[in-house]
Amino acid sequence: MQKYEKLEKIGEGTYGTVFKAKNKETHEIVALKRVRLDDDDEGVPSSALREICLLKELKHKNIVRLHDVLHSEKKLTLVFEYCDQDLKKYFDSCSGDIDPETVKSFMYQLLRGLAFCHSHNVLHRDLKPQNLLINKNGELKLADFGLARAFGIPVRCYSAEVVTLWYRPPDVLFGAKLYSTSIDMWSAGCIFAELANAGRPLFPGNDVDDQLKRIFRLLGTPTEDTWPGMSRLPDYKPFPIYQVTTSLAVVVPKLCPKGRDLLQRLLVCNPAHRLSADEGLNHPYFNDLSSAVRTG
Amino acid sequence: MDLLCCEGDLIRRGYRDPALLGDSRVLNNLLITEDKYLPSTTYFKAVQDEVKPHMRQMVATWMYEVCEEQRCEDEVFPLAMNYLDRFLSQVRIRKNQLQLLGAVCMFIASKLKETIPLTAEKLVIYTDNSIMCQELMDWELLVLMRLKWDLSAITPCDFLEHILSRLPIERERSDMIAKHAQTFIALCCTEFKFAIYPPSMIAAGSVGAAVNGLVGLGGIWASPNELLEQMQKITNIDMDCLRACQEQIEQLLATSLCSPMSHPDPLATKHQEEKDQSSTPTDIRDIDF
Repeated sequence: MQKYEKLEKIGEGTYGTVFKAKNKETHEIVALKRVRLDDDDEGVPSSALREICLLKELKHKNIVRLHDVLHSEKKLTLVFEYCDQDLKKYFDSCSGDIDPETVKSFMYQLLRGLAFCHSHNVLHRDLKPQNLLINKNGELKLADFGLARAFGIPVRCYSAEVVTLWYRPPDVLFGAKLYSTSIDMWSAGCIFAELANAGRPLFPGNDVDDQLKRIFRLLGTPTEDTWPGMSRLPDYKPFPIYQVTTSLAVVVPKLCPKGRDLLQRLLVCNPAHRLSADEGLNHPYFNDLSSAVRTG
Repeated sequence: MDLLCCEGDLIRRGYRDPALLGDSRVLNNLLITEDKYLPSTTYFKAVQDEVKPHMRQMVATWMYEVCEEQRCEDEVFPLAMNYLDRFLSQVRIRKNQLQLLGAVCMFIASKLKETIPLTAEKLVIYTDNSIMCQELMDWELLVLMRLKWDLSAITPCDFLEHILSRLPIERERSDMIAKHAQTFIALCCTEFKFAIYPPSMIAAGSVGAAVNGLVGLGGIWASPNELLEQMQKITNIDMDCLRACQEQIEQLLATSLCSPMSHPDPLATKHQEEKDQSSTPTDIRDIDF
């Protein structure tokens, strides 16, 4: 631990405190995540175990880099690349306006990170602005893989309490235990709309019921025709039949028509019809993406 | 009053995700990555002195039984065996530490793959209290460090659905084939000679053996070679290797059917007089990747 000089506390992660620190030799700034190992516990927490081995595999410019794992008396320290802020803090700092180029760049990077995870058999499962890190160069990186897991196929059901309510897809809200990559794509859609509205969340529900109502009011209540099997989901209950009355142009006024089309294809109640990360990357919305972002 | 049992099947299986199964890059990534996690093929000669192949088989059988009894995910046992082999490829241990190592490997594999992992307490009980919780914790870190936290090892289970979804079999039949292949994979993990084969080959061999035993060619394939050809295209493994692997699995199956897996005494790998565990390595050092 002599290698790093602690600078300040950044926050509390899923399983420990996060500090900003400096490598004394190289002066590189890093983020240290501390994991306590208590005697009476079950050893290394499974979330830390998963995060470490997944991040070691997932080396990609849009995924936060794990540099090192240090072990000392009763604790593990994970050494991450440092990013200046997360997307939530970025929203707070940009006071209601993000230019369309930045929205496009962030969304592209989010989908590119996701496509990489998905092609390596990894679901993030907990995407939200707090888990997307932004650095000074405008690079976006997926972080906090404590809930992600490498999954074999077929997979067993995972615990239902995984995605923060606001970014949770209707299938999961109805108790679907059959998660797939589509879980991350819904969250990506919600984050896209939030980006386009400079930080105003799309579906800020208070509870499961309220969350579903907000979704259905905007997208229309799905039926067995549009979503076969919906009514057989474990926590399914009928909702009022809302018709689509608000166009996305009203919801995300600053987003261009192609962007709205992409959003529409991500926010699909039936998980089988949601766009995949790869399809998203190839959407015409990104045709005029600056080559710096595309190759960067 | 009648008792009503409505527990049902609590474990729901995931559906086949087209974003994963339909995308050839996922299978390609698996095929590229699998070699990274192979153990040394010579560790009994080059690294170990006390630990012998028959002890590996004994501890593997014990581990398989624990996983079965605890209804662990299918992947947990093969994954734990991969950790065990890779650790033994690097670190010489005493034979009375083998069961402890086996328990630790299940502990880690279960945490990685399961929603509700095996507890330390349960594992200690399964060793008939011949290991202590604290040892399990100490060795967990030792194993993690030695494996450099590279825990997402590819097992034959990872290939099963990819192979089956690419063969012309209907869902119902393929579920049955998968179930049998899964058992064959576990059986292979107990035999050291299979530890040197890439997981994709064991998966293909197990599917071949399962098809052979269950449906024969079932009117789907004109000849055994046609099935092998298809699997060769899926896995890029030479047909002769696939055939040889399948035959070895079938032989193993035949012998294990004649003499079912021996049930080792939980203490057999552990000498009572060697209770002193003070030799537990503590040279856990920081690692860099």
